[in-house]
Amino acid sequence: MTITEAQGRTDDILSAVGITKSFGRTRALDGASLRLGRGEIHALIGANGAGKSTLSKVISGHLVPDAGELIYQGAPLRLRSTRDALDAGIAMVMQETSLVPDLSVAENIFLPELAQPGRFSYASLYRRGADLLATLGQQDVLALDIKVRELSAAQRQLVEIAKALSVQAKLIIFDEPTASLSPSEVERLFDIMIRLRDQGSALVFVSHRLEEVFDVTDHVTVLREGRTVLASHPTANLSQGELIRAMVGHDLAAIYEHPHVAVTPVMPVALEVCGLSAPPLVHNVSFRVHEGEILGLGGLVGAGRSEAVEAIFGLRPRSAGTMTMQGRLIDPRSPAEAVRAGMGFVAEDRRTQNIVPHLSVKENLLLAHLGTHKGFGLGYRGRERQIAVLLQSLGLPADRLLDANMLNFSGGMQQKIIIARWLLLEPRVLILDEPTKGVDIGTRASIYALLRDITAKGTAVIVISSDFEELLGVADRIVVISDGISVANLPSALLDKEKLTLLAAPRTSMARNTALLRELSTETGGTGFWALLDADRLICLNLVTRDSGSGPGFAAGDAKTFGETLIPQALARRAPTLVTESSGSHTTMLCPLQSRRGHNLGWIGLTMTTATKLPSPASIQSRVAALADTL
Amino acid sequence: MTLSPMPKAARSPFLTLTRSLEFRMLVLAGLLAIGLSFLSPYFMTWNNIFNVLDQSVVIGIVAVGMTFVILTGGIDLSVGSIAGLSGVILGLSAQIIPWPVAILIAVAAGAGIGLISGCLITFFRLAPFVVTLGMMAIGRSLAYILSGQTAISDIPSGLSSIVYTNLLVIPSNVGFLAVLYVIAWAYLTYTKGGRTIYAVGSNKEAARAAGLRVTFYSILPYVISGALSAVAITFSIAQILSADPLAGNAMELDAIAAVVIGGASLFGGRGSVVGTLIGVLIMVMIRNGLNLMGISPFWQGSAIGSIIIIALLVESIVSRLNAR
Repeated sequence: MTITEAQGRTDDILSAVGITKSFGRTRALDGASLRLGRGEIHALIGANGAGKSTLSKVISGHLVPDAGELIYQGAPLRLRSTRDALDAGIAMVMQETSLVPDLSVAENIFLPELAQPGRFSYASLYRRGADLLATLGQQDVLALDIKVRELSAAQRQLVEIAKALSVQAKLIIFDEPTASLSPSEVERLFDIMIRLRDQGSALVFVSHRLEEVFDVTDHVTVLREGRTVLASHPTANLSQGELIRAMVGHDLAAIYEHPHVAVTPVMPVALEVCGLSAPPLVHNVSFRVHEGEILGLGGLVGAGRSEAVEAIFGLRPRSAGTMTMQGRLIDPRSPAEAVRAGMGFVAEDRRTQNIVPHLSVKENLLLAHLGTHKGFGLGYRGRERQIAVLLQSLGLPADRLLDANMLNFSGGMQQKIIIARWLLLEPRVLILDEPTKGVDIGTRASIYALLRDITAKGTAVIVISSDFEELLGVADRIVVISDGISVANLPSALLDKEKLTLLAAPRTSMARNTALLRELSTETGGTGFWALLDADRLICLNLVTRDSGSGPGFAAGDAKTFGETLIPQALARRAPTLVTESSGSHTTMLCPLQSRRGHNLGWIGLTMTTATKLPSPASIQSRVAALADTL
Repeated sequence: MTLSPMPKAARSPFLTLTRSLEFRMLVLAGLLAIGLSFLSPYFMTWNNIFNVLDQSVVIGIVAVGMTFVILTGGIDLSVGSIAGLSGVILGLSAQIIPWPVAILIAVAAGAGIGLISGCLITFFRLAPFVVTLGMMAIGRSLAYILSGQTAISDIPSGLSSIVYTNLLVIPSNVGFLAVLYVIAWAYLTYTKGGRTIYAVGSNKEAARAAGLRVTFYSILPYVISGALSAVAITFSIAQILSADPLAGNAMELDAIAAVVIGGASLFGGRGSVVGTLIGVLIMVMIRNGLNLMGISPFWQGSAIGSIIIIALLVESIVSRLNAR
């Protein structure tokens, strides 16, 4: 971080003063201000409804403020449209991408040029598009002539960033850019942002995720209820607690409050999934979830987590695998059958998959009920007492809620209503896909508390989240899915963010690693493995064996204490030399795997039972080092 | 860590081509032509090929305008009525002023009606279906009133020169159709205006946010569609030298069918005039072939309806297979 550098600059690129904006009777901004320096990444944070998005949209010309003024590069700036903002060099990378799916990547990058005079030439678009991607350090990542419709979320975002650069933007606003990215994609985005800052751009970073604010920003501005409550404060001088206090106006108890119990009392299995396959994305997913347990499904975006639970819930055809609920084999071919079997499912996309926008809150609440209700009428009457009790326990005001349109409420409130929809049916297994996406930090805590309450009554809960911190905080156990395969099933107490990141890495990116392990095992007739080592515990990430015998006593995805394996002494020594167990059964060597950037990526091990030809430790060490260089 | 790089040439050009709907429809058109040439030996004669092309002119011209409208995510149900009304206007004015000026007046009238529809749809955010449905009724009614409920048959015979002049071997109306499609294709593919029309149909908010002239390019297609409806009826009148207030009845259905068979999405953003041309040819070939075989014209509707549904069915199956 170049914080001191950013502090040193006093010439602001933009200052917004006294910005006020009302929608109907709600006042979204009430005299908010924001000062941005050149060459800095500036965090703009606040709870949902604090006015971050509104302020971003005022600065980028999407909205015209009721009052207040913008000073841009020393002169007053009046924006009547996004066109004006783009002409001034202000661009916004939207949360929901604002791309044209049926045009090519190149055309999207240069979309604003379609409104400008001059010739239109694909050759020029491709050439300049390639140059732009090169300045982002992302050449060869995108084919410029394919339609945006065919891109992943992360690739689309890259197109958005390139689009902002195509108008020579000096100020770029990123509105929750990390919401749908996997951890490695977030890292790549931060690389790009830092590169842009170092080239002199000013960047505004709007996010809900505080840890990211600390990762990448130089200064922080906090909004609360439409006002600026903390202005341009250097990020480095802040603690997470101070930030939260500024956002919510009071202290918040630690949001993940449940104490991790290392040993969960063994409850009956609520749902067991075995060998689930649903092409093209789900290949072999197995897990169990116990009553009263929160199971986290972790992994990268696109690893097949959502698809797996959709297949379980009968939304997608399954090609293989069995599912057992409370000892009975179930085979739901539609959501209606899954609901009858005792499942509930809160899908990822609230707006398109969960809410019926033109129905009232009450009707939305009773939608799942309608699916199970037998009879010609609505049968709402019989649910009324239950609704009253449920709403009270969720802290939702019943009188205000029931007749109002669903869209009048914040994302967090909507999410609670959708969860309540399923609770009415008292499911035995409730599946939630990204339940806190786009939900502010205060409401997030109450959703976590709600999940705890649900499990306390014996319901099994399955949570999918791309936010590893959330997953670790909320789940009792985590099943990691990578490329459609469940690769690990571990108590979350044994995991941290780094380990999860390594476990979730796509199998394809492990190709080199696997190749080395295969070479080692072939050459020696032993077992090559890649593992993370704690004080006395091992988590095996990958393993290749040619050993017909017992091997080291663990398999890929296993977490075991050293004592539970067959090579405890070697693991305890963790030295790049050959260590033979005192029983004489196994000879093992371990090499640390360290990336060029100094990240510890675990250990590469080689274990041989019948040591006919012992390899030289030095040669193995150098091969591991060569592998580490490519990571 | 980075995104896994995407190969620059993701697919070979040929494979990309075979994946396009236009290609599949071209194959369908080819199979249809081969099949019909077996069923009727007269089908593949030069005479009949020019016949097919001649019969494609009127519907082909209207379908170009319809493609523009559908690309923006709209629909124009008024094309048939505009054709009828502007035909009557042409017939009436050709009696008092030279016919080339009368054509201009008729085309201006068609464009004017399109402009009204486009403005109502764009400025008041009315549903295109409903606005053009209203225009369809109004246009037909005005055509009857202006014509006095009868066909105007004393059209100056000079008008027929726009159809029956040969440019080398090609009749002028077929030549006009070809030039129109080339211009429309080049406009939609290689100009800023054309790409803006795709952008507006594919994601209107993104186009607006990028500063594109969304309002202008939302109205323009209706103007083009109205004007081309008048042009189309002009070619029809030039052949029979009579302007019937009933002319162009149900033409909107043929035009929409051609565009849809050609692979356009009714939600906008997807489609091309190349596909539309193939769609037009498929429909005209079916009509022509059934006539040659002496099958009752009442079967034509069933045949064309089946082709539309089969085309969409095949498309749905193929795209589901591609998703695997």
